[in-house]
Amino acid sequence: MEKILQVKDLELSFNTFGGEVKAIRGVNFDLYKGETLAIVGESGSGKSVTTKSIMRLLPESSAEFKNGEILFGGRDLTKLSDKEMQKIRGKDISMIFQDPMTSLNPTMPIGRQITEPLLKHQKISKTEARKVAIDLLRLVGMPKPELRMKQYPHQFSGGQRQRIVIAISLACNPQILIADEPTTALDVTIQAQILELMKDLQKKIDTSIIFITHDLGVVANVADRVAVMYGGKIVEIGTVDEIFYNPQHPYTWGLLSSMPSLDTEDAKLYAIPGTPPDLLDPPKGDAFALRSEYAMKIDMEMDPPFFKISDTHMAATWLLHPDAPQVEPPLSVIERMKKFPGSRYYEGSVN
Amino acid sequence: MAEKLLEIKNLKQHFNVGKANEVKAVDGISFDIYKGETLGLVGESGCGKSTTGRSIIRLYDATDGEVLYEGESVHGKKSKKDLKKFNRKMQMIFQDPYASLNQRMKVMDIIAEGIDIHGLAKSSKEREQMVFDLLETVGLNKEHANRYPHEFSGGQRQRLGIARALAVDPDFIIADEPISALDVSIQAQVVNLLKDLQKEKGLTYLFIAHDLSMVKYISDRIAVMYFGKMVELAPAEDLYNNPMHPYTQSLLSAIPLPDPNYERNRVRKSYDPASHNYTEGEDVRMREITPGHFVDCSEREFEALKAGSLKV
Repeated sequence: MEKILQVKDLELSFNTFGGEVKAIRGVNFDLYKGETLAIVGESGSGKSVTTKSIMRLLPESSAEFKNGEILFGGRDLTKLSDKEMQKIRGKDISMIFQDPMTSLNPTMPIGRQITEPLLKHQKISKTEARKVAIDLLRLVGMPKPELRMKQYPHQFSGGQRQRIVIAISLACNPQILIADEPTTALDVTIQAQILELMKDLQKKIDTSIIFITHDLGVVANVADRVAVMYGGKIVEIGTVDEIFYNPQHPYTWGLLSSMPSLDTEDAKLYAIPGTPPDLLDPPKGDAFALRSEYAMKIDMEMDPPFFKISDTHMAATWLLHPDAPQVEPPLSVIERMKKFPGSRYYEGSVN
Repeated sequence: MAEKLLEIKNLKQHFNVGKANEVKAVDGISFDIYKGETLGLVGESGCGKSTTGRSIIRLYDATDGEVLYEGESVHGKKSKKDLKKFNRKMQMIFQDPYASLNQRMKVMDIIAEGIDIHGLAKSSKEREQMVFDLLETVGLNKEHANRYPHEFSGGQRQRLGIARALAVDPDFIIADEPISALDVSIQAQVVNLLKDLQKEKGLTYLFIAHDLSMVKYISDRIAVMYFGKMVELAPAEDLYNNPMHPYTQSLLSAIPLPDPNYERNRVRKSYDPASHNYTEGEDVRMREITPGHFVDCSEREFEALKAGSLKV
């Protein structure tokens, strides 16, 4: 498969009054053409910062690239000038934000907001741009697009606004679409519609999507591959089946078992104890060790490297080291593993 | 059947009454809450679920209808003394742990506010001890009493909110989306805490939320609201296994679950209120289909649902 974006050893820090906040501490991943990669993690895990650094949307006065590169179309995005970056932003890579209330300009009719990237990036006339914008609105399922072009954001509902934001982001047929919690502010029924829309559109225009969310249900719905972030690092990455049915990192176990499934019985919900690490002073060794009941001595001293589970599945935990003792994951995780051929709990297919 | 703690009868909460922009946020709902149970209240934003909670605790004056707490009406003319009595029995936990704690007060005073108002502590020493105990109950420690809210994380703040609600030793707690603002790993901590407290103190909860999987986990019974009306009320298991109202079915079919195989096969239903084809003047109200399972339906639908459920 064709790699469209490569993030290599990315390290990024924020310089604050309190000191240097190491928000991203060595992130590596590739994005393939036409796939959806979901990045999950808690607030502060670095998932938004990672994508904002791809878009170069972080304040240059405080955010500093410490190491690594972001390769897109043969160029390193971390080294581009603002002017060069502007040519990419909204054209080759575009972004959908979480809150459709604040990401649209309240003083501008939505028609102008959709034609804006078209006029900026493509040499077309205003009338042509208008036509494209109307088509886009129709594409995202907006009724009476000609009429609605002249309306302002406040005249639309939350779900409709998110559709408009999607229309804007797709205006120039981007190769990469970054969606930062695009459905978090929406109701479940509207969320379902937006997710369906995004999947449909992806098929039509064959774009790659980076989907950031903390909702594992949404991940299971949209993702082809999943990266789990914790404390500024990716701790596990694999296909959606591998992450949900054969997770290896204790943090992924914790995440999966702290969500009640619709058939969780009255048993106590598994809660990950403690709070996420303070990245002003990241802990030595495995950042998750302090919250993990599976932590070993080495976790406190050395950062675990990535261990390969399959060609597509990697996890950074010492538990996968050949010398590590074999441990039992939480019960609900074992239940999941029973469904996965290749895991040691596999019970054979149901049929 | 357990004892009724609260009876809500035809509660209506309209805003801007008589003006062009009148909003019927809650439009005639009736239900009971039993002692020691958790009643989950779900629905989309704007369906009136928070308004229902706020009207019950009298943060709003109800437009019409009654809320009876152990047989006594909460609304209507009340002396300050009577209101105080209700305030001690009913408490609320709010959604946003950042906005619901006064930034300028120390944790000690935030939690003790209710204790002071109701005169529950005889000496400052006792007051202090009560706050320490409460902090411990919610999993914090007494060193936290001298701090300000900004020094706490979201999950810890929600614990403070819970400690504040518990300070006056209430029987009934309305939790308005207490976990929606928290991270997944922290949500489980708070939900477990709420469950433990319920067991220990025999609390009754009205749990308002839009996260249906969490609601199912914590609730004994669940009520579904749609546009100011209640459309279905049933035991939690029953509602999920056998949703009868088309809106409930569409709501349930929209929840994504952390299970890729399930997601690949999930079929979403959509709900169209016009699908009922109610004739004018048709008597649409909550009717009991199977024991404890109420659905908002017309006489005609009632017969059909009843016949359908008998077959199963």
